Amino acid sequence: MSESSSTPRVLQKSGIFSSSVIEDIQTKAESGIYRIRGYGTLRERRWATFDDLTFLPCSLTRIPLEGYREKCSTKTVLGSRFAEKPIELDIPVMITGMSWGALSYNAKVALAKGASEIGSSNTTGDGGMMAAERENSKTLIYEVLPSRYGINVHHMRMSDGIELTIGQGAKPGTGGLLLETKVSDEISKQRELPVGVDQRSPARHPDMLGPDDMIIKIEELREATGWQVPIFVKLGASRVYDDVKLAAKAGADMVVVDGMEGGTGASPAIFQDHTGIPTLAAVCEARAALEDMGLYGKVQLIIAGGIRDGVDAAKAMALGADAIYIGTAALIALNCNRPLYVDDYHKLGTEPHFCHHCHTGQCPVGVTTQDPELMKRLPIDEAAERVTNLLRAMTLEIQMLARSCGKSDVHHLEPEDMAALTPEASAICKVPLAGTRRVWGS
Amino acid sequence: MCGIAGYYDKSSGSTGLIGCTVLDMLRALGCRGPDSAGVALYHAPADGDFVLQIKLGEAGHSQNPTENVIAKVSALSKPKDVSTTGGYLRLTIDGTLDPGRVAAAVESTGSEVEVVSMGRRLEIVKQVGSPDRLEETFRISEFKGSHSIGHTRMSTESKVDLSHSQPFWAHGCPDVAIVHNGHITNYHKLRRQYEQHGTRFYTENDSEIIGVYVAQGLSRGLSLEEVLHAALADWDGSFSCLVSTADAMGFVKDSFAHKPLLFGETDGFAVVATEEVALRAVFGSELKVREAGAREVKVWRN
Amino acid sequence: MAKLTCEGRTIREINAEIRRLLKDGEAVTVSSPGARHNLGVALLESGDVLFDGSVGYYCAGLIDGVKVRIKGSAGWGLAESMLSGEVIVEGNAGNSAGAAIRGGALVVQGDSGARTGVSMKNGLIIVTGSCGYMSGFMGQGGKMIICGDAAEAFGDSMYETICFVGGEIADLGNDAIVAESTDEDKQFLDASLTRYLPASVCANLPDGGDFKKVVSDRKLWNFKKSEWKTWEQAL
Repeated sequence: MSESSSTPRVLQKSGIFSSSVIEDIQTKAESGIYRIRGYGTLRERRWATFDDLTFLPCSLTRIPLEGYREKCSTKTVLGSRFAEKPIELDIPVMITGMSWGALSYNAKVALAKGASEIGSSNTTGDGGMMAAERENSKTLIYEVLPSRYGINVHHMRMSDGIELTIGQGAKPGTGGLLLETKVSDEISKQRELPVGVDQRSPARHPDMLGPDDMIIKIEELREATGWQVPIFVKLGASRVYDDVKLAAKAGADMVVVDGMEGGTGASPAIFQDHTGIPTLAAVCEARAALEDMGLYGKVQLIIAGGIRDGVDAAKAMALGADAIYIGTAALIALNCNRPLYVDDYHKLGTEPHFCHHCHTGQCPVGVTTQDPELMKRLPIDEAAERVTNLLRAMTLEIQMLARSCGKSDVHHLEPEDMAALTPEASAICKVPLAGTRRVWGS
Repeated sequence: MCGIAGYYDKSSGSTGLIGCTVLDMLRALGCRGPDSAGVALYHAPADGDFVLQIKLGEAGHSQNPTENVIAKVSALSKPKDVSTTGGYLRLTIDGTLDPGRVAAAVESTGSEVEVVSMGRRLEIVKQVGSPDRLEETFRISEFKGSHSIGHTRMSTESKVDLSHSQPFWAHGCPDVAIVHNGHITNYHKLRRQYEQHGTRFYTENDSEIIGVYVAQGLSRGLSLEEVLHAALADWDGSFSCLVSTADAMGFVKDSFAHKPLLFGETDGFAVVATEEVALRAVFGSELKVREAGAREVKVWRN
Repeated sequence: MAKLTCEGRTIREINAEIRRLLKDGEAVTVSSPGARHNLGVALLESGDVLFDGSVGYYCAGLIDGVKVRIKGSAGWGLAESMLSGEVIVEGNAGNSAGAAIRGGALVVQGDSGARTGVSMKNGLIIVTGSCGYMSGFMGQGGKMIICGDAAEAFGDSMYETICFVGGEIADLGNDAIVAESTDEDKQFLDASLTRYLPASVCANLPDGGDFKKVVSDRKLWNFKKSEWKTWEQAL
């Protein structure tokens, strides 16, 4: 009897050897090397994130503030622990360090201008400071990274803060990557590398191995900058509790913790998906570390890693952050993944909203490319305006949530302003599970 | 991550003010380790008796902890020279006894009671706080002896308390002490192996595994040099480590030269420290010193 | 010649005083440095500074233009990230001497520790004695001359730094090879050694032509199959 017509085909997929795993293995069988891509983790969300929390606005027990008329302050001061000149921002959302190299010149300048317009700050990246960055940034933070590309004491002295970068959320424990097509003549000159190499940055600082050395290094950075500006220590979220304590002990003015959901221009795929702890977990560990040392509030905490909007920012602040860095969200405002030049997305083998091909240098919208023709697609001033608008919208979101919780200052948000929607989030954030009135796992 | 220091008097007498020397070096290293300080000091043999430094544990957990220990130990032999200082009970006891039985007797009196050191020449005192505080409590500067190693601690992954401070006694091995700067990254794996064979660990501090490792190697009949060379293969991670025994002091540095260690010597003494600033503070500018190289092992003995 | 002592002063006070004196056009002698850290950091004024003793970590780090001499030894990160200038240490240098330098000259008259010249981007490093483990690691540019021996993993993962070794190389690092020296190389060696080392020291060194030249074989510069099409599939 023929089976073909009457028996329906039942396709059964392996839960382990999914399509993307099959593709991954077969690609590695051709190339013999690990996969590299940009963007950030592509895991299907199955871990606790800010989405598992909800705010508890005022109702009968507390009184909400009226919008607009009853002011809600967003002024943010960072680095007051030791610096003579702490950083003063108008809003608590800042642009994180992303390199000129990973990003195009136009993207970097647009971020600088966009942030400055609304009283936010910009940060250099793995490649040193561009003149245009300093010119266009109201507040500029200078990253000292393991690679030390373009390290320049004069640039450090021109900046408003120094960020000693130990690692980043997308790839803790490893160095940066910038692939061949993006190591252009200009970039290679800036970084003092041969043109067209697949640049691999070192995983650790060349002259500092351990938190005990870091105490001395922080003093050196203060000496170099006249003890004026704040020194940040930036960590990829790994052993957050221990690391934040050490950064505080080593004399940092503030600590930046960048969670697993953080973005990258290019790094091994396995690092983006399988290293580091999520941002939600990281902010809770970081705050606990500072509280246990009696330094919460004295050492400021900046949280980064997949912050998408004012809601994520407000929740992170409620859990203990003094300020938020955005990276991927800012690039998306610039036009990343926008449905423009759609044919070029197809040429890359992707679609708008699915693109994470920053590492190829063929960004269809001119954000993460060194190709001058592609970069023309990102005119600076319009792009800057989009960044300003995003920051403004995020700030309004934070303010609205804060007002609804009865706060006249966004920094007054507390964990107690929230409830958890899952047992995990309740246990991680020590916030009651909605409906039970108790903290799970305590 | 920490500061370590060691001093070894090459002349056979044991009368130098070594406590002062090590204390001053630790003071110079203080900023590298703000959490705790400790020293292991070696004096002339005291009639072959064992000296024990015992941590009594939290007050209130057992009443009369001192009396309990003395009572338990007296079943083996009457302890002499009993004194208490800064949370420690110090006593001396017949040196012909089995050291394992003595330590077990002491520790059976309470879960928090711990023999911090035992030896015919070795005494370890350590506590939370600075080297100055250590001096205030124990008057290290008055100690006379032949050699000493010391430590100032910056805790990384484990608690800040007395037990987790260093030096660590190589438990069960009289007169052997260790100090460590760095982090043993295969600590948990090694620990589980030892625990399967019945070894008790007192802390969650990775440095403790070094004491256990050294104790096991020496009791198998290896020399200190052989133990330290073997360590290069068996320990992973970063380490500059000092080990002292009744008559020797040695160091080993990891394969990647991750943690600093400098040393200098004359005909009269050898000295080792994490930073040159400690050596200069005590020995002035004349002493020639150099940084130990990757995988370097060196032992001094009389 | 102005003198100042480190005793009883913070690093901040010492460095501020050095800067002030250099601005006044004085050469400065600093006594009792006691191997302390961060001495002479970020000196951007030209002039001469002598540390009469040993120094600790990051001495002359982040400098641009000054000339520093150290009579004793130096700790880790000597002259790290130097833009220009000259640093001479008469004794030994600890790990990571000349880390990330972008110009200038660093001369170690004793031995230097592990990772000498790590991530150097330009400039010149000369070590009269021997250098430690993984020296030259990730060197991007500039030149390094080791008159004595080089320890294991020498010249690992370099870009365009050119190294010369007068003694024995314990082993070469990843992608490092010994290359043929050119006449230019030999002239450069002779000129550099004569310029920066005392004649008595030069007399005991191998001839310019007897130094081994170590460079990158460039096999790690690009991942194999590096057309961007491969990365296009790296979803």
